Amino acid sequence: MGSSAAQADYAAFLEKVKRTIYLDNLSPQVTEPVVRTALNQFGAVKNVQFIPNYMGPRNIAECALVEMEDVRQAKAVLSEISQFPFMMSGMPRPVRARPAQVEMFDERPIKPGRRIQCRWLEENDPDFEIAREMKRLTNKHAAEAAFLQKKQLQEEEKLAKQQLDTLKGNYKKYEMVDSIMADGTARRLARHYNLRVAED
Amino acid sequence: MVEVDTKDLAFKWGKQRGVGGKDKKVRFFQSFSYGSVEYALYDCVYLYGEGETEPYIGKLIKIWENPDKTKKVKVLWFFRPREIQYYVGVEDTAKDELFLASGEGAGLANVNPLEAIVGKCNVVCTSEDSKNPQPTEEQLRTADFIFYRAFDVGHCRILDKIEEKVAGVEVKFIFNRVEAQEPNVVLELDSAKKEVFGNAVASNKTEFPLKKNPSKEHTTQKSNVISINSLWKENADTNTSLVKQKSSLREQPAYRIRVESKISKTNDRQENISLDKSALRSVDFPIKGEGRVVKNLVRNEEKLKSSHDCNELEDRPSENVICVRIEEKVKSIHDCGELDDRPSKKAKLDCSVKVFGDKKEKSVRKLPVDLSRHDARGVGTVIDFEDKSRLKLVKDSRGVENGPLKKLKLDEKTKPFDGKNFVKSEKGKSSRDCSELEDRPSKKAKFDGPVKVLGNQNEKRGQKIAVDSDLIDAKVLPVVTACEYKYRLKLAKDSQVDEKGSSKKLKPDENTKLSNGKLPRASPRQFADEDKKFDHQIMEITRRPDADKSKWFRAIPWEDRMKSANELGTLVLLQNLDPAYTSAEVEDIVWHGFKENCRAKMIQRTSISSPHCGLLLEVPELLASLRRNQLFLAILLLINLDIRCQGK
Repeated sequence: MGSSAAQADYAAFLEKVKRTIYLDNLSPQVTEPVVRTALNQFGAVKNVQFIPNYMGPRNIAECALVEMEDVRQAKAVLSEISQFPFMMSGMPRPVRARPAQVEMFDERPIKPGRRIQCRWLEENDPDFEIAREMKRLTNKHAAEAAFLQKKQLQEEEKLAKQQLDTLKGNYKKYEMVDSIMADGTARRLARHYNLRVAED
Repeated sequence: MVEVDTKDLAFKWGKQRGVGGKDKKVRFFQSFSYGSVEYALYDCVYLYGEGETEPYIGKLIKIWENPDKTKKVKVLWFFRPREIQYYVGVEDTAKDELFLASGEGAGLANVNPLEAIVGKCNVVCTSEDSKNPQPTEEQLRTADFIFYRAFDVGHCRILDKIEEKVAGVEVKFIFNRVEAQEPNVVLELDSAKKEVFGNAVASNKTEFPLKKNPSKEHTTQKSNVISINSLWKENADTNTSLVKQKSSLREQPAYRIRVESKISKTNDRQENISLDKSALRSVDFPIKGEGRVVKNLVRNEEKLKSSHDCNELEDRPSENVICVRIEEKVKSIHDCGELDDRPSKKAKLDCSVKVFGDKKEKSVRKLPVDLSRHDARGVGTVIDFEDKSRLKLVKDSRGVENGPLKKLKLDEKTKPFDGKNFVKSEKGKSSRDCSELEDRPSKKAKFDGPVKVLGNQNEKRGQKIAVDSDLIDAKVLPVVTACEYKYRLKLAKDSQVDEKGSSKKLKPDENTKLSNGKLPRASPRQFADEDKKFDHQIMEITRRPDADKSKWFRAIPWEDRMKSANELGTLVLLQNLDPAYTSAEVEDIVWHGFKENCRAKMIQRTSISSPHCGLLLEVPELLASLRRNQLFLAILLLINLDIRCQGK
């Protein structure tokens, strides 16, 4: 009875995984209503869950798991976002989408029929050295990942600053043009230089 | 003679009549004298006509001098019958008869330079109007021309009566002057007597040079010939109709008198034949009547038009100036249109006016340009101020906006610091764990050194062995005797040898322990193991109610539990853990390894997270010691190996 219930739960979980989308490279300003509004054009959104970040810095891009009504809608979202750049509020970052995986869910049921064995190791055991080497490699990989992440964040900050400067310059330019047209300076200059300028 | 020549060249203004209305520098005069001849207002004079054999005849209406010292006269014209023959076709007019210009239109009156006057002329009006004083016989005898009818210039027809006003001149000035004529006649008679030859011209008040006299005599000779022809025509007319006879009878006395005077003139002419040879040549010039008449009229029209145009042109520049001053583009466009519409004949004047107007327009245009420049500069400055103020406002707003951004940045800065601190603390722990792992062999060597072992230490070793056996064979074992247990252990060893070569080393360790230990000591160990086995089974059963409890505790947010655990110091991060494990599985593993319950949560896998995921645990204080963490990490590493071996 327990095994059958466990299998049913696990099957339901797998079905959920199939119709769930993993969104990446989201702006910090993106919230659940924003995600719902953005993806409602493809179908009905059942649930939105943001994956928290416990280890890395706070300013990295956010991740979210979006559950759609059925598998067809999920595939439609994936195809559209993979073909065209899809942007949400905040920085103009293109959103990345991919199918969800089992390991991405925090509260998932235990897979039935799984066998786990564990034991303590002595220092003189030959597997002890292998385990120790694995531990060292794990730390190394973690450090490398952290470094790469840091570099990526620096590049993103640089790009954000450049975009901000460009936006500021454009805003100032258009503001100046609007003020000139409103004050009538454009018409006076046009008359002075014998040019034809439309009133609009 | 020399004195006479000098006097002829002299020019003097007579009495001044008034000053011009528009321009006070213009002076109007009543009379003037040129040489020995005096001209007065309303006198009839001969005017030189270019290309004409006979001069024009007109009456002086106005005499004035412009500020630039140019002298002008306005003349009311008389028409000869030949000049208007094209329009009227008159055939019964006398050759000495003239027609006064009247009505309105071209040819009525015209402005001419004063130098065009050739000489004076005696014209007598024979109209029967009551206002006109009737001329005497002597006046008629001495008159050069007579007139009693008018020619309407506008309608091109002859009028029997003269209008009250012609070209602004009253009739009394057009008709004969009674008082003025008498002294003139007396003077003429006196001058005639004084002359040696007895030759006298009624129009001359004083003597002319001898050179000029022959030309006039010749002109009179022509008129005599023409008059004879007309007499023949008149005789023929009398034969045809009574009306013509009446007219001829009226005219007969005048012609008889003229015949007598002409006879006397011919006698004088014979005496002067030798002096007039050069003059005879001028008489031979051909006469073109109709063409010249038309041309004359056309010229007169042109002159009149030019005069009118001059007046208009004088007014237009001021209007242009006014228009330019008003600075309205529409009017300036109209002015340009008007200038363009002018005929080509007036090109010179128009060009000059255009140039003048253009200059004025340019000069005026410069002013608004300057004003516009100043305005533009002023507006520019205003815009600059506005822009500056706006920029300040924008900056202020941006500052206000940057405030929360800065705060957010500060918050972000604080958060990564927290993360870094957390990571550093973890790194410190891991380093400490490594050092402790290195220290372990020395401790174990100490334990192995002494022969005698304490009971507690033996119990710990026994526990380890028991754990290993349980982990290797996860089967429920029934209660058996010591012999059966030993036998089963041997079987297990054999199976291990067959399945895994790596486990061979474990055999000698176990054998050595068993051989070193005494049998009576081994028996209580076996019992203890059995008890533990039972405890293990029971613990597995109790895990389920723990699972139920965990379900109940799921209501509490995980972040809050993490914070509280971090404060208590019971939060542990595990690395190098298989991501396939679930939170529940990890909790079971910890329970099996440490015999303690804990709350575990797997970190969700993302594209940014490290490939070897970790685990956050809420562990009791007893298990949070460094030694326990060290052992736990070892177990987890081994678990990964086992799973991978099974996979292969």
